[in-house]
Amino acid sequence: MNKTLKDYRTWCLLLALIAMLVLFLYPSKQQKTPTYNYTFIIDITRSMNATDYQQDNEAVSRLHFVKQTLRELLRALPCESKVGLGLFTERRSTLLFEPLEVCSAYTEIDTAIGKVDWRMAWAADSNIAKGLLSTLDMLQKSDSSVIFITDGQEAPPVNPNYQTDFSSVKGQAKGMIIGVGGLQAVPIPKFDSLGKQTGFYSHDDVPHRSSFGQSNLDPSQIKGYNARNAPFGSEAATGNEHLSALQETYLEKLAAESGLAYTRLTGLQNLNQALQNPKLATEKLVQTDIRRQPALFALLLLCLVYLPKPPKYRLLS
Amino acid sequence: MNWAVNTPWALTGLLLALLPLLNSGMRTSPAPWTALIPADTLSAFVVCCLRLCAMAAIAGLVLGIAGLHRTEQSRERIGHGAHIVLLLDRSSSMDNTFAGRAPNGSDESKATAARRLLTEFVNQRQTDLIGVAEYSTSPLFVMPLTENKNAVQAAIAATATPALGFTHVSKGLGMAISFFEQQPVTGSRIVLLVSDGAAAIDHDSELKLREWFRKQQVRLYWIFLRTAGSPGIFDQPEDSRDDNAGAMPELYLHKFFQGLGSPYQAYEAESPDALKQAIADINRLENLPMHYVERIPRQDLSTTCYSVAALLLLVLLGVKFFEVKR
Repeated sequence: MNKTLKDYRTWCLLLALIAMLVLFLYPSKQQKTPTYNYTFIIDITRSMNATDYQQDNEAVSRLHFVKQTLRELLRALPCESKVGLGLFTERRSTLLFEPLEVCSAYTEIDTAIGKVDWRMAWAADSNIAKGLLSTLDMLQKSDSSVIFITDGQEAPPVNPNYQTDFSSVKGQAKGMIIGVGGLQAVPIPKFDSLGKQTGFYSHDDVPHRSSFGQSNLDPSQIKGYNARNAPFGSEAATGNEHLSALQETYLEKLAAESGLAYTRLTGLQNLNQALQNPKLATEKLVQTDIRRQPALFALLLLCLVYLPKPPKYRLLS
Repeated sequence: MNWAVNTPWALTGLLLALLPLLNSGMRTSPAPWTALIPADTLSAFVVCCLRLCAMAAIAGLVLGIAGLHRTEQSRERIGHGAHIVLLLDRSSSMDNTFAGRAPNGSDESKATAARRLLTEFVNQRQTDLIGVAEYSTSPLFVMPLTENKNAVQAAIAATATPALGFTHVSKGLGMAISFFEQQPVTGSRIVLLVSDGAAAIDHDSELKLREWFRKQQVRLYWIFLRTAGSPGIFDQPEDSRDDNAGAMPELYLHKFFQGLGSPYQAYEAESPDALKQAIADINRLENLPMHYVERIPRQDLSTTCYSVAALLLLVLLGVKFFEVKR
């Protein structure tokens, strides 16, 4: 007995068993890990069909690129994160589904994102400021961060006299505006009722100014001004509204007014980085498995028992 | 049996299981000449067993550390149920009550009533695959056919956001039928249309819908949430001049559905109770035998590995005390 206790192997095995006991008694501990809850609101207005992204040496539309990047992002998000999806067009957005846990509902979210189409738009205008306000208003009560993905192309352009007032939601909403598109203006594709492309929007196809309410200019400077019949003058408006580029300064301004962050979408990496913003994360207590540590200790001790020793007695030749 | 580990590189530790082959793990006692010791089969057997125990213990620990598990399995089973696509009307009028007013404290809106009852319905249909599509001016793809009831509930809950534009039912139906493409035909296939209005369907769409309904063998249930005072689906026109799809879209849509050639049932609900009745009917009727896939969630096997290793460690330690004392 005495000799058994003197043997280091006995002690190794005993300690290993104690380690296993610890393993079964304390298998996990509570750990704070950041989890994310996003509601992606995707702009599906026509300007999102403009093709100014490159993917595999092929020009792809903004919408396609957004969908592709979001689907890749879905794979990169840690489990326990939640993702909801909504669409924006006209002056408001609609929610397709409330945030779902990404690991258990991966296929469902992935399919739904893949099916997003510009033809789902229920109306054709694009008033981003109002849409953003209504979205923030709609999701104010939820604890999800609004990720508003748009190119900033207002159609028709906003009259500076009638700007959206974000003071009611400022500071309460958390989220981010993601700008998509290139900085160079490109034409917007035009489709027929069957979804086939029939060229591009031309100068005469789109309104180049809003003719709602009163002009922001001094009446004396408007040619052909008539307070009742021609508040915007008699001249036809001209502009480049048929071309579309990412309106970064405008979106940055909206972001500042509504208290959201702004970033530009260039790829998965930059989106993933931007979304890991600690402001958008919520610390959640998650049970983490810590059985590895005692198991590793036990393994080490067990190996020590069977470690080959250098031969003590040499054979004499 | 699909086995997998979380950290594959940790499996290199399995090489450690070879250590007991090099060292018996027992105290050695000097003997003048080993050849003098007679061969003992029992001893050799015991030593061999002990080495195997040690190897298994090391392997168990390594596998536990690597996170051995059985991956998610799916098993095909035969049960009762259906593939159901919920086609929900998101037109603005759904936000009014059955009396046609904006909802106040006592009355709930048609959308709220539909949401509440559909949530219950989905909870009762455990083996079904359920998908969600919505339509207003244009169809919205919301949720593919899935057995994940949480996902369906999340989609139904999202209809709490304000409704959209007009009623364009033919495009919505087209989208709902498209859910069944590339799905095996098993059990019954149902489109459950929940709407509070109808619209005339143009001739081209009529032809296409007829063909698709026949091809995909879809059964149609229409729950018409009738607002008080508005024309119903079963009303006959009082004046023959009103007998057209423009003036009575509900009646004409109903007639079109009847002529589809596929099973069709209409319910006219004028209150949340009637809606509840209609849903209960469908719940009772649609229970044809069907193949469905049961998911067996991933099973963690590291606990088993650790338990086996701990047991073997106990054996090894116990045996230590039986070693020859000299």
